[in-house]
Amino acid sequence: MKFEAKQLCKSYGPQRVLLNLDLSLQSGEVVCLLGQNGAGKSTLIRLLSGLLKPTSGEITMDGMLADFSEAEVRRKIGLILHQTFLYEQLTGAENLQLYARLYGTKLAEGDLKQLMARVGLGKVRPVPVRSYSRGMKQRLTIARALLNNPQILLLDEPYTGLDQQGSAMLNQLLAEEQENQRIILVTTHELSFIRQVASRFAILHRGRIAESIPNANLSLDELQERYNAVVNYRAKVQVEAVS
Amino acid sequence: MLSENKTITILSVIAAVLFVFAFLMVIFYAPIEVNMGLVQKVFYFHMSAAWVGMLAFLMAAIFGILYLVHKDLKWDRLIASSVEIGLLFTVICILSGMIWARPIWNTWWTWDPRLTTVTIMAFTYIAFILLRRSMDEPSKRAQFSAIYAIVGFVTVPLTFFSARLLRTIHPIIFGSGEIDMNLNQPMLTTMFISLGAFTIMYVALLLQRAHLMQAEDDLMQLRMHTEIDADWEDQADA
Amino acid sequence: MKTWLGTAWVLVWKDLVQEWRSRDVLTSMFSFAVLSLFIFNYALELSPIDRAEIAPGLIWVVMVFAGTLGLNRSFAAEQDQGSFEGLMMAVPELSVIYLAKMITNLLMMFGLAILVIPIYSLLYNQSLFDLRFFGILMLGAWGYSAAGTLISSMTVQTRMRDLLLPVLLFPLLLPVNMAVVKSGSAIITVSALPEFQSWINLLLVYDVIMTVVSLMVFEYVIRE
Repeated sequence: MKFEAKQLCKSYGPQRVLLNLDLSLQSGEVVCLLGQNGAGKSTLIRLLSGLLKPTSGEITMDGMLADFSEAEVRRKIGLILHQTFLYEQLTGAENLQLYARLYGTKLAEGDLKQLMARVGLGKVRPVPVRSYSRGMKQRLTIARALLNNPQILLLDEPYTGLDQQGSAMLNQLLAEEQENQRIILVTTHELSFIRQVASRFAILHRGRIAESIPNANLSLDELQERYNAVVNYRAKVQVEAVS
Repeated sequence: MLSENKTITILSVIAAVLFVFAFLMVIFYAPIEVNMGLVQKVFYFHMSAAWVGMLAFLMAAIFGILYLVHKDLKWDRLIASSVEIGLLFTVICILSGMIWARPIWNTWWTWDPRLTTVTIMAFTYIAFILLRRSMDEPSKRAQFSAIYAIVGFVTVPLTFFSARLLRTIHPIIFGSGEIDMNLNQPMLTTMFISLGAFTIMYVALLLQRAHLMQAEDDLMQLRMHTEIDADWEDQADA
Repeated sequence: MKTWLGTAWVLVWKDLVQEWRSRDVLTSMFSFAVLSLFIFNYALELSPIDRAEIAPGLIWVVMVFAGTLGLNRSFAAEQDQGSFEGLMMAVPELSVIYLAKMITNLLMMFGLAILVIPIYSLLYNQSLFDLRFFGILMLGAWGYSAAGTLISSMTVQTRMRDLLLPVLLFPLLLPVNMAVVKSGSAIITVSALPEFQSWINLLLVYDVIMTVVSLMVFEYVIRE
């Protein structure tokens, strides 16, 4: 499957965020979206999930224009944003069951247990999510995003709140989902973790993908250097002009 | 651009001329009503203001539907403009009504259903302006404005229906078997001329206001873009 | 249609369980309502006969004011945890979110009426137990929830939030208020009201129109 954004523009009133952005995502690819704060990473994720409408440009799935008013199109996407989407008074299992029912299915007891175990919540007592730690909530959020086996995973800062073990668990999941030929787009600042699974890095800068770097055993330092090169380009030009 | 400006100018001139004409007609042409005396002359502008108020709110709802269909901010500017003008004329309607009520009903204000409902309708649109002021993101604001303009206007006929169910002491000119005020031909002519003048004035004001809003938006856009473009074009040059 | 209603029911169930476990909204709505009944006693020192006449209006006003507490919290869970977006990705049709919230709010008003009517009857020694009166209250509550749910789904996304809700909502409720108070007091005081049927029709028309229009425009409230 191919998931593409073509000439995507987004402005909030007079304020431009994305300008003629092109991005193509393939099945079995884990693409890591990098960029400074306010570069438009979250906006891009929201556009790709259909929550925002682009000012112009289009989003296609296998070459077909994605019509997000169709539930089938929306349901192809597993989404993690900054907020958890969880209901605080419901237990973890109830939250997952709720979303499953909204998707029009019902999780069997075994499937539910398996899913909870997959994100390392197998042994948690059935208490309301309110009493979960941030890390546990994040694990549950990940389970929620994987709930209906979506073909496309759009994950905005999925490592937030996760400890070492949790991040390793997420990497494990991402690798598995990659095996399953999913399309995966991740934004994060945790380069050391994502580096282990990402197939390429896309740097979002000034409204478009400024550079795309394949992850061929890139060391952390090399990656950091190339990222800085893009982001600090203008500063460098100015310094050179002075000298 | 130029032609739009021209249209606005021509309309404004027509509205002004017609308005003065209607005003003179009210003073010199329309006869003095037998029972109420001079104060009855308030009626012509009172009625016209009430009409423009309703028309403006109706148009706001229609522009609301058009915005939701086309998602063009042009319609949003028309919604906001129409509501502002409608509100202005509704206030004129209420105030001129009070001037009339003081000698006729012997009070500035009475809890008559017609008065109450019109005033509460005005509050609906004051709330509309508050709603707009409470939002920053233009497309979201436009969406909410459109929805509220539609829902607000949907309740208007129901509100008026409920006012009819209660016994009103307000004179009823239209839509009732018996006519409370005896209007003779010169009075009717004056009424229709002033209705016409007010309607054209509404259109002129509407276009003028929407035009001004567009200018404000354009200015804002220019300001933002001169900054960002300078920033972003550096990169394109490289 | 079946999945539509099914999904709505899942969402209503979720809201009710959430509310039952915290009881935040119910408790404050109920205490506010009972408190208002006491305050009205001092504010309106009326003879029993006058009081009997205004009882239906008073009950309705108490329900409307207490109801805004609930409406203001009605989308709180969605807003706090961003679940709006989660729901949008999952549900078959966006309008179902509105329908579910409207039903929840209507159930809250139902609960409120069931509590307020006996307490009023007890405190003021006037029986308000009349199925027709209760029916009118529920017709009013339907219109109230239909308009209130739509408006609160908008105000929760604005800067002024709960400040804005009553200002936006109350002018829209004018026909409902008049119809409930007029027809309600006709029943309670057993007086003749020639326009009784017209008031009930007005309520029904308001309820249906408000629900249908809201279902149609709700998509635009939560989605660009």
